[in-house]
Amino acid sequence: MSEIRLNIDGIEVTGFKGQTILDIAKENGIDIPTLCHDERVEIYGSCGLCVVEAEGTSKLLRSCSTFAANGMIIKTNTDRTRKNRQTALELLLSDHTGDCRAPCVLACPAQTECQGYVKFIAEGKYDEAVKLIKEKIPFPSSIGRVCPHPCEEACRRELVEEPISICSLKQFAGDIDLDKDELYTAEAGNPTGKNVAIIGGGPGGLTAAYFLRLQGHGVIIYDAMPQMGGMLQYGIPEYRLPKKILQEEIKSIEKMGVIFKNNIKIGRDITLDYLRNNYDAVIVAVGAWTSTGLRCKGEELDGVVGGIDFLRGVATTTDNNYDFTGCKIAIVGGGNTAMDACRTAVRLGAAEVYNIYRRTKNEMPAEQIEIEEAEEEGVIFKNLTNPIEITGDNGKVKAMRLQIMELGEPDASGRRSPVPVPGKEEIIEVDTVIVAIGQKLDKAGFEEIEQTKWGTIIADENTCRTNLNGVFAVGDATNNGADIAIAAIGEAKQAAETVGKYLNGENIKYEKPYLVKTEKTREDFADREILSRVKMPQRPAGERRKDFLEINLGLSEDAAKKEALRCLECGCHDFYECKLINYANQYKVQPEKYSGKTHRYIQDDIQSCIELNHEKCILCGMCVRICDEVVGATLLGFVNRGFDTVVKPAFDIGSCEADCVSCGKCVEGCPTGALYKKASK
Amino acid sequence: MKITVGKGSCGIAAGAGEIFSLLEQKAPAGCPVVVTGCIGMCYLEPIVNIETDDKNITFVKVNAEAADEILKYINGEENKASQYIIEREDLDNLNSQQRIALQNCGIIDPENIGEYIAREGYKAAEKCIKELTPEQVIDEIKISGLSGRGGAGFSTAFKWNAARSSKGDKKYVICNADEGDPGAFMDRAVIEGDPHAVIEGMLIAAYAIGADEGIVYVRAEYPLAIIRLELALKQAREKNLLGENIFGCDFCFDIRIKAGAGAFVCGEETALIASLEGERGMPRLKPPFPAEKGFWKKPSNINNVETYSNVPWIIRNGGAAFASMGTENSKGTKVFALTGKIAKGGLVEIPMGKTIYDVVYGVGGGIKDGKKFKAVQMGGPSGGCIPAELIDTMIDYKTLVAAGAMMGSGGMVVMDETTCMVDMARFFLDFTVKESCGKCIHCRIGNQRMLEILDRICDGNGREDDIELLSDLALQIKDGSLCALGQTAPNPVLTTLRYFLNEYEDHIKNKKCTAHQCKALLTYFIDNDKCTGCTLCAKKCPNKAISGEVKKAHSIDMEKCIKCGKCADACRFKAVVVD
Repeated sequence: MSEIRLNIDGIEVTGFKGQTILDIAKENGIDIPTLCHDERVEIYGSCGLCVVEAEGTSKLLRSCSTFAANGMIIKTNTDRTRKNRQTALELLLSDHTGDCRAPCVLACPAQTECQGYVKFIAEGKYDEAVKLIKEKIPFPSSIGRVCPHPCEEACRRELVEEPISICSLKQFAGDIDLDKDELYTAEAGNPTGKNVAIIGGGPGGLTAAYFLRLQGHGVIIYDAMPQMGGMLQYGIPEYRLPKKILQEEIKSIEKMGVIFKNNIKIGRDITLDYLRNNYDAVIVAVGAWTSTGLRCKGEELDGVVGGIDFLRGVATTTDNNYDFTGCKIAIVGGGNTAMDACRTAVRLGAAEVYNIYRRTKNEMPAEQIEIEEAEEEGVIFKNLTNPIEITGDNGKVKAMRLQIMELGEPDASGRRSPVPVPGKEEIIEVDTVIVAIGQKLDKAGFEEIEQTKWGTIIADENTCRTNLNGVFAVGDATNNGADIAIAAIGEAKQAAETVGKYLNGENIKYEKPYLVKTEKTREDFADREILSRVKMPQRPAGERRKDFLEINLGLSEDAAKKEALRCLECGCHDFYECKLINYANQYKVQPEKYSGKTHRYIQDDIQSCIELNHEKCILCGMCVRICDEVVGATLLGFVNRGFDTVVKPAFDIGSCEADCVSCGKCVEGCPTGALYKKASK
Repeated sequence: MKITVGKGSCGIAAGAGEIFSLLEQKAPAGCPVVVTGCIGMCYLEPIVNIETDDKNITFVKVNAEAADEILKYINGEENKASQYIIEREDLDNLNSQQRIALQNCGIIDPENIGEYIAREGYKAAEKCIKELTPEQVIDEIKISGLSGRGGAGFSTAFKWNAARSSKGDKKYVICNADEGDPGAFMDRAVIEGDPHAVIEGMLIAAYAIGADEGIVYVRAEYPLAIIRLELALKQAREKNLLGENIFGCDFCFDIRIKAGAGAFVCGEETALIASLEGERGMPRLKPPFPAEKGFWKKPSNINNVETYSNVPWIIRNGGAAFASMGTENSKGTKVFALTGKIAKGGLVEIPMGKTIYDVVYGVGGGIKDGKKFKAVQMGGPSGGCIPAELIDTMIDYKTLVAAGAMMGSGGMVVMDETTCMVDMARFFLDFTVKESCGKCIHCRIGNQRMLEILDRICDGNGREDDIELLSDLALQIKDGSLCALGQTAPNPVLTTLRYFLNEYEDHIKNKKCTAHQCKALLTYFIDNDKCTGCTLCAKKCPNKAISGEVKKAHSIDMEKCIKCGKCADACRFKAVVVD
């Protein structure tokens, strides 16, 4: 074979006569995109992504099929080639009606691989499930117990009957791991020599530490409290999240080499500046630990306490400071903290526990299940009431004067605003008032960082950057204030990524990835069998209200598997291998401008264990050609013409069942998730 | 005396079959009734020719009554046949043409090889095989400057030479008769009217490149062409003009027919080859060109019907004679199928270098019903339009391309003031969208998206940025499509954008279709001053959208109006206004 020399993108390369431009580029590490080329099959040239420009030729050349000639000067990455590839991708995506990611994954602030671990559980692969969860969440057992699971709200199984119990399944997988001698722990990366200080050892701080260790950075966490865990440790009551479980999961993070420094408070023991001077980067994850005041007369009285202060007190107490036996307790607020406080008060022996909330139960921000369970445990809900005054006796709370409210017009948030009913009041006798209406950042020590008018740290939504170079912030302390734990976890993972880039001196730029999404309706799932959602077994209310033992008993293996099998598997199985979505993001596609007719075919069974989803097929013909040229079976073919062309069993004979040997080579060759090998049943 | 009836598909469609039987039954003994192909004057079909020793009379638009009069004339009886004699002007139009590819069409009996041979048929092949070397044949073709008549206009001699130079024990000569452009019927007429010219052309090509097997890929929708070609092949074999040792030499060649299933894309040579091989008709990338790796990966020469039918004339008269006609870039003649809003539609053959004006207002007799000429679409769905202001554009490969159109295979669709150019572009794009093989992305989805944009423009839902989107997408499709179908599909859109941008803007911004074709953009109302209250429009309205009292002005309920235009057609006072 005679050698030829050519120039690709300014690099002098050599190849042999008979080689294509693409072959030679590949051999020389020059990447030219293609969706339809594969060395095993003959040149085809359908996708057109591999176009290049050659000096002296006015046309774009498909590099997969253009044979290289001596002296060629090739440019693979010009404006013209990029634009043409982008158009091809946009056109493909304008008729690509799948879902790259399942709605549950997209709804999770941490983008937890819900669909993936649910499937592993369905298949009994619990270790894999834990491993997958821990790619996004370092403490599945704890989060599985406390998360208000936005994933389940997005779950499409709701269009059949009820969402999958995704969160309980996470707890199930985490608990199996906890039962082992040693928890699954991801391995820390090779040491980089860089060190990051994290302030606050709550879910955000711990998560950031976890992901930074995976990258190999040194991490130290400073926390004001005696133990790590933040609000999970000091805010969530024991009956919901046993501290032993949390601490065990936290220990696995410590095992990765994270240094824990407890009882150190910024602004009191050390300064932010000290950390900035001694570490390569700082992440602020201090949370929001100050209760918002009630702003009504009498709130200074002895016996008025903040919700999170109360919960923290109970969590840290060593003696009987919180014996409520025979007491009447009022908890103001409708959120989860208020519910936690109510139910904790019940467990402390209170004779009567009132929940004071100015709207109805429907408007309560707390989770529905929390409200129900609280009610079961005897909490008295005084809805549509608002405290006007707390009256005292000798400086000690005695009673509470309540304004009776009614619902008026909806406000900006869509909730109907409560308005006072003139002249209607009620007085209840109480010994303690717990105010759980909000929480905010304790600013001390962080004055240098730019803050919002509500007193939260301003952190870039995508990069978590603050106004101080090298200082990042996540979680309840930032932007919109207190949120759920999983939100802090999501931000912390994001922060760990950008901090990693920052430490490598890379430009911190985040671009929202392009994803294909579709809307589904009840009709799309009309053929599904109704399978009701599993119920988390619980201790009876009468029993559980007496102690702090965990109320939920966890799912049995059978129940978990059965529940996991309900999953509709909405997201694309090939998301991480999909060449199309990879190129789509590389070429920053905007397919919306070409939106028009799309193909919404029903899935085709090529044979009993191979499924073809026409909505995702890009007609590259790889499967058709592999089955013909590699396998020699020629079982697949194209049917119809033009825009309506589809891949089907050759000559549209129905199914390949009779002749297919299930070699799966067609599935392997598919550059997208259009072909899918179903699990053997 | 001889009676000849034009029995091409066009003649048959006009009733020539019936006329033929009638004449055959009643013609006096000694007066044979024979068939011929299409002479090109489709607007005058059925055409009957009477040939006597001293004269030749052509009767046109012959119906049963006319046939009777013609028979009376033949029998020497009193008759009214003269009113069916062709007009001088039409005869002049015919005689003004320069006919090479069509030289025998409408003249000889295509089902009788003797008539072809009588007009020097197979002389050229004999000369080549007996006297010339293959190289000399190719040289003669080179001198003639003949280029492919299928559309691309590639040098025929170059192709032949490439196929000749390609190494291989087996070579093929293929005739592309998969004529698919809407409004094009040149190849059909040639095969139906003069099949031996194609066979002889292929025979010469086979000798030149060294092939022993020929295939005519003809669409199955041309049944008459297939029948006549089969018959011609049979007759040629009987005379040993095909088969072993042709003309007593050791040259062997035979031809078979492959009927295509009617996919437009199979006119693309690599798709044609795939189809011949029994595969789905999808184009592949070139190179390798068919001349190197064609049918069954063997060197193959593919030419269009009209190209082959020019070859015998060139050999007989010399390449130089052919090259003396035409322009510097385009030699010889070209056959065009004139259709649309033209007064005298049909087939014409004129020398290259004439202008669009010569065709439309010369041979074509101008626009139907005295309407205003707007544009002509050349090259079918792959071509482009030439607007009225460029009517003096020369028929020449390069000049037409520079004007945004192309020679194409010869389809010439004439449009007048009542043609909406956006709708016209949509029509051709709709054709290519349906005919795309679906292989490459730009063509499969891109053209579909362009069509959707045109649809919404015609439906009155055009968006401000649609023109930009169309132009941009069109260029990307041209750049990124694999074969000529995709690469040229946006041409009708691009040329109408170039010459008729105002119509697009009218549709999008003013929501108006000035040609009154896009229904969604039309409103019908009655001019009170002109309406006499005759009630005719109300009676004709199929949807009861018009109301009014007798002798009082009527009105149209736009909610009910389906914009069929029946009222406007019916009104004798021009009181129905379309806007």
